[in-house]
Amino acid sequence: MSASCFQNRPSREIDFDRLYQSSIFRIAATITLALLLSLTVSGQMTRAQVTQNDQNPPDNLKQLSLEQLGQIEVTTASKVPVKASRTPAAIYVITQEDIRRSGATNIAEALRLAPGVEVARVDSNTWSIGVRGFESTLSRSVLVLIDGRSVYTPLFAGVYWQVQDTLLEDIERIEVIRGPGGTIWGANAVNGVINIITKRAQETHGTLVSTGGGNIDQGFVNFRYGAGNSKGLDYRVYGKVFTRGPEFHPDHQQFDDWRMGQTGFRTDWDPHNHDRLTLQGDIYSGDAGQRVGITNYSPPSMTDVQQNAELSGGNLLGRWERELGSGSNMQLQTYYDRTNRKQPNFDESRDTFDIDFIHQLTLPGRQDFLWGLGARLSSGNASTVVPTVVFTPNHYTEKLYNAFIQDEIPIVGDQLSLTVGSKFLHNNYSGFEIEPTARLLWTPSSRQTVWGAVTRAVRTPSRIEEDLQITALLAANPPTFLRVIGNRKFSSESLIGYEAGYRSLVGPKFHVDFAFFYNNYDNLLSVEPGAPFSESTPPPPHTVIPFLFRNGLLGHTTGFEIAPDWTPTRTWRLRGSYSYLHIDLQKSGGSLDTSDSTQGSSPHHQVAIQSSLDLPKKLEFDQTLRYVSALPAQLVGAYTTADVRFSWHVARSLDLSVVGQNLFQPHHAEFGGDPGSLVGIERSAYIKLTWQSWQR
Amino acid sequence: MTADRSGPLSQFMTLAVAWMLVGASCLYAQQANPTEYEVKAAYLYNFGKFVEWPAKVTATSDIFSLCVLGEDPFGAAFDATISGESINGKKVVVKRITKPLDAVSCRILFISSSEEGRLQEILATLDSISVLTVSDISQFTRRGGMIRFVKDANRVRFEVNLTTAEHAGLTLSSQLLKVAISVKRSSQPGD
Repeated sequence: MSASCFQNRPSREIDFDRLYQSSIFRIAATITLALLLSLTVSGQMTRAQVTQNDQNPPDNLKQLSLEQLGQIEVTTASKVPVKASRTPAAIYVITQEDIRRSGATNIAEALRLAPGVEVARVDSNTWSIGVRGFESTLSRSVLVLIDGRSVYTPLFAGVYWQVQDTLLEDIERIEVIRGPGGTIWGANAVNGVINIITKRAQETHGTLVSTGGGNIDQGFVNFRYGAGNSKGLDYRVYGKVFTRGPEFHPDHQQFDDWRMGQTGFRTDWDPHNHDRLTLQGDIYSGDAGQRVGITNYSPPSMTDVQQNAELSGGNLLGRWERELGSGSNMQLQTYYDRTNRKQPNFDESRDTFDIDFIHQLTLPGRQDFLWGLGARLSSGNASTVVPTVVFTPNHYTEKLYNAFIQDEIPIVGDQLSLTVGSKFLHNNYSGFEIEPTARLLWTPSSRQTVWGAVTRAVRTPSRIEEDLQITALLAANPPTFLRVIGNRKFSSESLIGYEAGYRSLVGPKFHVDFAFFYNNYDNLLSVEPGAPFSESTPPPPHTVIPFLFRNGLLGHTTGFEIAPDWTPTRTWRLRGSYSYLHIDLQKSGGSLDTSDSTQGSSPHHQVAIQSSLDLPKKLEFDQTLRYVSALPAQLVGAYTTADVRFSWHVARSLDLSVVGQNLFQPHHAEFGGDPGSLVGIERSAYIKLTWQSWQR
Repeated sequence: MTADRSGPLSQFMTLAVAWMLVGASCLYAQQANPTEYEVKAAYLYNFGKFVEWPAKVTATSDIFSLCVLGEDPFGAAFDATISGESINGKKVVVKRITKPLDAVSCRILFISSSEEGRLQEILATLDSISVLTVSDISQFTRRGGMIRFVKDANRVRFEVNLTTAEHAGLTLSSQLLKVAISVKRSSQPGD
């Protein structure tokens, strides 16, 4: 069998000479071969045993005593996400099991599992992520929450994926909602919502230590300890450090190495039956290597600087949940979040305070009614490091207030329901905004769900569009500069999204999810040329060609996602997704936009296939194959690549896994972004040992 | 970059087939490990043999109902486990219910995690009614439930709140209590 495993290799794609030059791959290949050989032998042996004594486990299980039942090891085959299957939105749930079996080493990588989400690695420490288009390194217009804390930065209207981390083993699930998520999510949930939820402290008792390393993920150590008492107080503490090497650079400028450390805790206390209190927090610090072009007015005007971005921050969150009886409950949450980012060309520290209240109650006629209030103050200080990147004023406080109501009304029994609601928000840039939605959910049988929705959503302006002035060199002689100038009259970008979906549980072993969308955008960001002028300060005298931020683009995106999920046998799960996207943006009347690269920066086609196989002798074998079509605006070609993971449950508390990533080529580019040549994402491998002790 | 000669999609399909063959060819092996909910279904059936219901309950019905309230995590496993079985001469049937009131006629009620938000309401409805309540919901036994499944290193175990069970008129056999990972005798039932 192992021989055939290798003969089927896609020989044209893999440059084997190059592969074998690298000794780590010689070692990895040897291990792989050995594992495959042992699988063949053990697999056939176990098959013989199995057929002898056990065809139908449920039949035999019920004959066992309670003691024997307690000794049976179970497979944690991820079950059909039932809750998600009855949501009138394009939702995909990535479970802890999915993350573990994907071999992902961080949150951004784990998001590759979701259909309709574009994830590209720009370099070792930077990602470009989009949902249904608008892929960018800051994931504009996607709301990202970690345990209810928004990690969206109002400075750049986006997310710094580098610093969004936690112990991956502590994540319970990641809910990915494509499209405007609806009213209950915060502001800027325009193209999607990524909701990262960690386990409650009750679920993480005991000690966990994992460590390992490889050629790119050079080394990592994760630690967690959790415990609790009989009075309902549980806690955990964790810590993690990692170091990651640079990716492939054709010019050998290996600037993008990355080191981070993070520690945090979570306490859950259920003082009595009706209340739950959660207190949690994290702090982190690290360096992420960057290459940044820096412009000065005096010569030499343009220099490429390779330097680390110094990143640090922390947060503290408290949440009180109370059951009020008869299906009613409320939740009060508040947090403080601090981020510091020191780059070669700018420097920002930010403090955010947030408070949110949600009340859910059942109204007559089994209506599920939800309302909430929230306020956020976010105070940033962007000090000027180079004269060509200036925020005016340096210090500014964003104030965001919001309220929402939502009512789910049953129309025909449990079969047809209508959800209507609206979010209302007020912010200092664009004032008052209203974001209504209407959603219809039809469940003709317990096996089928049909849904449709119309939603309006807005992305509120941010400091980058209002207050930023950024200058770059155009020509040295005579000195001529381009300058992008913020616009205090920048309006919110808006979307009216039309969505529909169908989910079918074809059989107990097969289900499939279809989602379609037509998103109509207005007032999208454009960059418009202005009249050139001369400037004598700062010296030397120079010419400036200004560009202004305006709301000059509009258009639509259309597309669909198909995600089948098949479990042909109790030990094999096969999942796939195909995502199609078409973006059509135009300039509105009078716009002279020069910037737009949106249309060529998200793939038309994405395909992913994942296979998870449980083998005898407590071995797991997982494969992921993905295809991403070309990104012309990023000069990135289409690529197909694959990840593979082997894991061996060595003993009750010890697991050993070997993960290979991006295996089909020595390196491939996924997205542009750094000055200079495109960075190639290298073929990589790592080994990981996980030791876990359980206690209650 | 590599998208040339034969077209990226056909190239992709070739690779996909080759890649999946690696997986499929390793599929000779069938592993005997059951799923979590198959084991839980077996437990629920077994609990029926180790719990004694008051005579007024056992006298009123010819069937022994195992109920699932909320979204069903068992699927076909439950039906496969109990098909053709009986406990103390009563035919065992599985009922999937949506309203807490429907649980009154059940002997054993499994409360799905989907119902966590209205757990108090459910348990209040069943206060003093002789239904064995079982769930995965965290803190279930502290919140007024009787038996909670817990995962312990890929094994399914359970903990018991004996006071709540006794309050409902149920007698749990010592064999069952011996196997439980913990037996609580405190906590005000139905409070």
